[in-house]
Amino acid sequence: MKLAIDETRCKGCNLCTQVCPYRIFKEGKHPNRRGIVVPELDRPERCTNCRLRHLYGRQLCGVCQLTCPDQAIHWVEEEPYEPHKVAIEY
Amino acid sequence: MSFNEWLRQDRLPHIYCAGCGNGTIINCTLAAVDSMGWKKEDTVFVSGIGCSSRAPGYIVTDSLHTTHGRALAFATGVKMARPDLHVVVFTGDGDLAAIGGNHFIHACRRNIDLTVVCMNNQIYGMTGGQGSPTTPRGCLSTTTPYGCTEPAFDLSELAIAAGANFVARWTSYHVKELERAVKTGLETPGLSFIEALVQCPTNFGRRNKFKKVADQIEYIKAHSLLKAKRDRMLEQGEPIPEDMYVVGELMKRSRPAMGIPKKEAAP
Ligand SMILES: Cc1ncc(C[n+]2csc(CCOP(=O)(O)OP(=O)(O)O)c2C)c(N)n1
Ligand code: SF4
Ligand code: SF4
Ligand code: SF4
Ligand SMILES: [Mg+2]
Repeated sequence: MKLAIDETRCKGCNLCTQVCPYRIFKEGKHPNRRGIVVPELDRPERCTNCRLRHLYGRQLCGVCQLTCPDQAIHWVEEEPYEPHKVAIEY
Repeated sequence: MSFNEWLRQDRLPHIYCAGCGNGTIINCTLAAVDSMGWKKEDTVFVSGIGCSSRAPGYIVTDSLHTTHGRALAFATGVKMARPDLHVVVFTGDGDLAAIGGNHFIHACRRNIDLTVVCMNNQIYGMTGGQGSPTTPRGCLSTTTPYGCTEPAFDLSELAIAAGANFVARWTSYHVKELERAVKTGLETPGLSFIEALVQCPTNFGRRNKFKKVADQIEYIKAHSLLKAKRDRMLEQGEPIPEDMYVVGELMKRSRPAMGIPKKEAAP
């Protein structure tokens, strides 16, 4: 599973940057076509739901998705064998 | 299988301002509704007028967007005519406690089997930021330019005093807790009242020194006092600071209720 922000919905309120325990959402820097500064994702592969959703067969964490007032945060299925960047945390 | 299935995707993005807490409360309420396993045909959302009351317009089920303050009166009608339907009411502090105040206390007294979710942003958001019955003392609004001098209503205490079976208060920061409270409310026969403190950055935050939405969320978080902790403080005779909001499940009881389908009602 892959975390994604729907740029057609996000209004750039940055509430997501406040609630993720991994601080995956970072304030964005550049306005998009609609003039909205959409947050950037910092190593989203660390997200609990991305990693474990299929193993547990249910939604995990999901605090960012519930908090986002504009229903912009969602997960998309990945292609099989899509290359992964591996983040090692010490 | 998530709250997204209950939203009319063709109507999104909604018209709420950036950072408006109403969207968060809709998510949490729909997540709870989704977990009940109810059919969309058997579920009805009712609201009055206000930014908060626009919520049912974004939901796929049948809904009633009624006149200002009258959501509970219409919901009572739906429930008495068709007790088999699941009825959820979205309302705002102005809608519920100002113009709709009498409907509120009598719906609680009658203990009608509804779940009422109030998005309390402590202001009239839609009409440009006039003070509401829940605007805290000292806060600025267009009708209280020198700071509100009236004491505010505590909506949850009001619902408890008037007889609601289930009462809980959370905030737009406590999303998981809020979802759980709404679920308990949906499961509880009789009137369930869930108060959600939310931010209105445009008409409340901006006038009350919250430059960013995040600042107001930090404030709400820091001024939430868990009921369990409040009770401990009371036991030890400690004073409860006036600016704290008690959050948690505040009441759960089983007074006689109305609008419950015959087969479920006690003999
Ligand atoms: C009978 C009537 N009186 C007044 C109004 C104007 N009016 C529309 S919304 C509103 C206040 C809404 O406040 P609230 O319920 O707190 O909703 P919010 O916009 O803050 O979510 C008022 C006074 C109206 N539409 N109808
Ligand atoms: S919470 Fe939602 S709308 Fe706000 S910045 Fe994050 S993705 Fe965008
Ligand atoms: S689901 Fe949880 S861990 Fe994953 S991005 Fe959202 S808040 Fe962070
Ligand atoms: S005016 Fe306030 S309550 Fe209404 S949409 Fe804007 S932020 Fe939300
Ligand atoms: Mg309001």
